[in-house]
Amino acid sequence: MGEKMKKGHPIFVCRCENVTLEDIEKAIEEGYTDLESLKRKLRIGMGPCQGRTCLPIVIRILARKLKKRPEELLIPPSRPPITPIPIEVFLASGGEEDEE
Amino acid sequence: MRSEVVIIGGGMTGVSIAYQLAKRGITDVILLEKRYLGSGSSFRCGTGIRASFTTEEHIVLQKHSIEMWKELSEELGFFYLRGGYLWLFRKEEQVNAFREFSKIHNKYGVPTRIIYPDEIKELAPTINTEGIIAALYDPLAGKADPFGAVLSHAQACKKMGVKIYTQTEAKKIDVRNGKVIGVDTTAGYIETNKVVIAAGYGSRDIAKTAGVDLPLENVPHHALVTEKFKEVFKPLVIDWTSSAYIVQTYAGNILMGIDIEEQPNIPLTQRIDFIPTVVKVMVKLFPWLRYVNVLRYWSGYYVMSPDRHPILGPVDEVEGLYVAAGYSGHGYMMGPIVGRLIAEWIIDGKPSLPQAERLTLRRIKEGKLIYEKAVVG
Ligand SMILES: Cc1cc2nc3c(=O)[nH]c(=O)nc-3n(C[C@H](O)[C@H](O)[C@H](O)COP(=O)(O)OP(=O)(O)OC[C@H]3O[C@@H](n4cnc5c(N)ncnc54)[C@H](O)[C@@H]3O)c2cc1C
Ligand code: FES
Repeated sequence: MGEKMKKGHPIFVCRCENVTLEDIEKAIEEGYTDLESLKRKLRIGMGPCQGRTCLPIVIRILARKLKKRPEELLIPPSRPPITPIPIEVFLASGGEEDEE
Repeated sequence: MRSEVVIIGGGMTGVSIAYQLAKRGITDVILLEKRYLGSGSSFRCGTGIRASFTTEEHIVLQKHSIEMWKELSEELGFFYLRGGYLWLFRKEEQVNAFREFSKIHNKYGVPTRIIYPDEIKELAPTINTEGIIAALYDPLAGKADPFGAVLSHAQACKKMGVKIYTQTEAKKIDVRNGKVIGVDTTAGYIETNKVVIAAGYGSRDIAKTAGVDLPLENVPHHALVTEKFKEVFKPLVIDWTSSAYIVQTYAGNILMGIDIEEQPNIPLTQRIDFIPTVVKVMVKLFPWLRYVNVLRYWSGYYVMSPDRHPILGPVDEVEGLYVAAGYSGHGYMMGPIVGRLIAEWIIDGKPSLPQAERLTLRRIKEGKLIYEKAVVG
């Protein structure tokens, strides 16, 4: 964080997991040049919005860095549920034993 | 292309073998990963690490692995915490069985002990111990960040000169006169005399191309994570009656899993009954979970061997062929020690731990199975 602050304005790309443009560019330089590895290295796309906010931006950053078209990058699958769901909701449905 | 050693599979096992080989000076190594690093089971795992098993082989190997996890996490800079394991029991017979297991643990220097609800509550505040009569506490056990572990190993390997090819699949292990002579891949042919199969769920198929039958079954297992919290509890908690487990990961998400009936060797699919089944057990243990959001649900394979121990080391029929697969649901934790043992097999001709020699494919051929009773999830 110290580094980010010194430079004045950190540009947050992933708001859920607090990841900046600088973090992403640095990771790409270190060799994390695919979305799946960037995701695990930085946790981009792993917050409550599941990357709907940040992944499109990350895809553009990576495509630009690699001089590829966005369509050429392998896009991570999205895991269900697409939006966060309270556990309470699942208590009411199916499952093995039922008591409550 | 030519390489001294080819490793097939870029999960925890593959990167650990590459790293341990490189640290001993063998850097003329190519690691092949058909998708991306960790994409098999390693990035889908429960992140738990323990030595509280029921056989000498598992306990001794895992005790060494745990020492290595600590050193590696410092050396490579990833999250590792000895937060312990709590195995919760609801029946007297479970307590009695684990009291016996605990004697075996203690014999090999793993300090587990039976504890009662008051102490359980201290170790896992907010837990509801209704119906829980006792627990086995394993203070040596813990958890580590799988993303950090796999990626930092790979990064260190690359710095030492190891070549890592992702999106590259091994198609055939080429054997002539009983010896490995190369590997055919989607990126071309690699000449080599040493191949390590560390391909997780893909191990059986690729071994077949070398004429070797690995008796492994890929069984789907499921897990979910919730949103993140500050540290709520440190240990990984297992409800032994239902086989459900819960752990707060390095990032703060709460991860949980449970065994639901599954067919072996089928594609990974989503099971709508998984989430209700696991949360029903967990809400009883941690009532506040009811108000927590589920973020992601996924599945991955446990690669099961006939006796729930991995198949490790050289294969008698084919010179130059080594295997490290079939962990039966606890192979992430074994990554460090397996990396070291396979490196020893390749460099020294034998592993430094005699227990490892009992885990080769030969045991299965000769019917000398060693059954593990404490498999979770
Ligand atoms: C839900 C769940 C929870 C788990 N919890 C735990 C836990 O808490 N603790 C624990 O220790 N273990 C746990 N496990 C088990 C653990 O995930 C595995 O034992 C471990 O990840 C095995 O690592 P690996 O490197 O051997 O295999 P993998 O991580 O599966 O890696 C094998 C790799 O080989 C690649 N591959 C396959 N075929 C080929 C080919 N022909 N060419 C090139 N590459 C190929 C695959 O793409 C894959 O990336 C869990 C598993 C699941 C599914
Ligand atoms: S903004 Fe990145 S996961 Fe939500």
